[in-house]
Amino acid sequence: MNWFRFAVLLVIAMVLQAGVVDILAFANSKPDLLLILLVFFAVYSDTSNAIITSFAIGFASDIIIGSAMGPQTVSFGLFGTLLAYLHRVVAIKKMHYQSLVIALTGFLAGTLALFLSSLKDQPIAPNAFTILLGTSIYSAVVGPFLFSLLSWWIRMTVHRFGRH
Amino acid sequence: MLFTWCMLGGLIFLFAPETWTSKFQFAFTRIFSWPLSVSRVVSLSARTQQQPTDVVGYSQYNQLQNHLANLTAELNQERQKVRTLSGLRDRRPALEGAGLVLADVITSSVGGLQNALIVNRGANDGLAKGQFVLADNSVIGTISTVASRTAEIKLITDPTSKIPVEIAELNVSRIMQGTGKYSARIQMLSIKHRVRVGDSVYACKKPGFLDTPLIVGKVAKCIRDDENPSVWDITVKPACDIEGLNSVAVLIMNPQK
Repeated sequence: MNWFRFAVLLVIAMVLQAGVVDILAFANSKPDLLLILLVFFAVYSDTSNAIITSFAIGFASDIIIGSAMGPQTVSFGLFGTLLAYLHRVVAIKKMHYQSLVIALTGFLAGTLALFLSSLKDQPIAPNAFTILLGTSIYSAVVGPFLFSLLSWWIRMTVHRFGRH
Repeated sequence: MLFTWCMLGGLIFLFAPETWTSKFQFAFTRIFSWPLSVSRVVSLSARTQQQPTDVVGYSQYNQLQNHLANLTAELNQERQKVRTLSGLRDRRPALEGAGLVLADVITSSVGGLQNALIVNRGANDGLAKGQFVLADNSVIGTISTVASRTAEIKLITDPTSKIPVEIAELNVSRIMQGTGKYSARIQMLSIKHRVRVGDSVYACKKPGFLDTPLIVGKVAKCIRDDENPSVWDITVKPACDIEGLNSVAVLIMNPQK
C-alpha cells in the first residue's frame, strides 16, 4: 500500500464529496465517494491495511459531514473491518457482488452512524433512512465502475473474475 | 489489536466534547478552502447550465452585464466603506442597534441529510450559536456551530431545523421544519385560518437574536394534512436562492462595541 497515494486520494474524494458530487444529485440522493473507497480498500487490501483505511475514511467522512465527530469513524471502521474479514472467506470480485456489498455496507454503516449520532443528542432528519437508502443504491450503481480508476491510482491489481 | 486501538480512537472522538472535535471540521474547511470554493463554483455553474429557461436575448444580456459590472464596482466600494467604518457592521432601520457581519460561503451542503453552509467568519468576528443568518434580506438559517474563524449555518431547509414562524397577517405562530428538499413545512395550523399560496412567512421575534419579524419564505403549497384533515400541511419555499449564495450576513442583535 502506498500511503501517500492513499492520502491524496482521500483528500480528493473529500473535496469532491463536499462540492462537485452535488451535480450528480438525483431525487435528494448523491453517491458517497467515501463509501465506495471504503469497500474498495476492504476488498482489495490485506486485512491490516483495510482496518487502517476504514477508520481513516470514516474519520474523513465525519469531517466533511460536519455534524458530530465519531459516528462515521466507528461505523465505517467496524463495517470496513467486517468486510475485510468477510472477503477472506467469500470473494467479492464480480461487479454485481461489489454493488450489493456497497449498498448493504452503506445502509448498515449509515444506520449505525445515525444511532451513534442520536447518542450524542444529534437530531435525526425524519427522512434520514430514505436518503440513506437512496445514497447507498446510488453509490452501488456508480461504485464498481470507479474501482478500475482507483486501482490504477493506488497501483493495485483488480481481478474481476475468479479468485486470485 | 490494531482494530481495538482504532476503535478506541473512534470512541474517544464520539464521546469527546463537540467544541473540541468541531475544530477538525473547521480546520479542514480552512486548509482546503480554495479547492472547496472551486468545487462549489463548478457545482453551481453546472446547476446554472441545467436551467435553459433562464435565457435572455443578446441585447438584454449586454445590458444586464453592464448593469452587473456597475453594481459590482459599487458593491466593492460599499464593502470597503463598511469594513473601514464599522468592522463589517451595517445597519437597517428595522434592526436599529443590530450588527450585520458579512461572511463568504466556503462550502455548502444542500439537499440530503444535512442542509448547511460553512462560512469564513467565526467567534472572533462576534458570531455565536443561535444567531440568525440573512441573505437577500431574508432569513436563511441559524448558526449551529462556531469556531474561531469559521462557522456552520443550519439552513431552514435542513430536516432538523425548527424555527417559530408566522404566516402573513395571521396572528399565530407555528414551528416550521425543513424537509431536506429545498423547502420547509408548517403543520398543525388549523384550517380555520386562511392561507394562500404566495403568502409571506416570517421568522418570529426571539429576544436577543431577532427583535423584529423577518421574511423567511413564501407559501408554495397549502393542502389539508393527510393524517389530520382539520389542519393545513403548508410547504414553504425560501425567499432567496440558497443554493446560489456566495455570501451571507449574520445578524448580531447586541454587538460588542
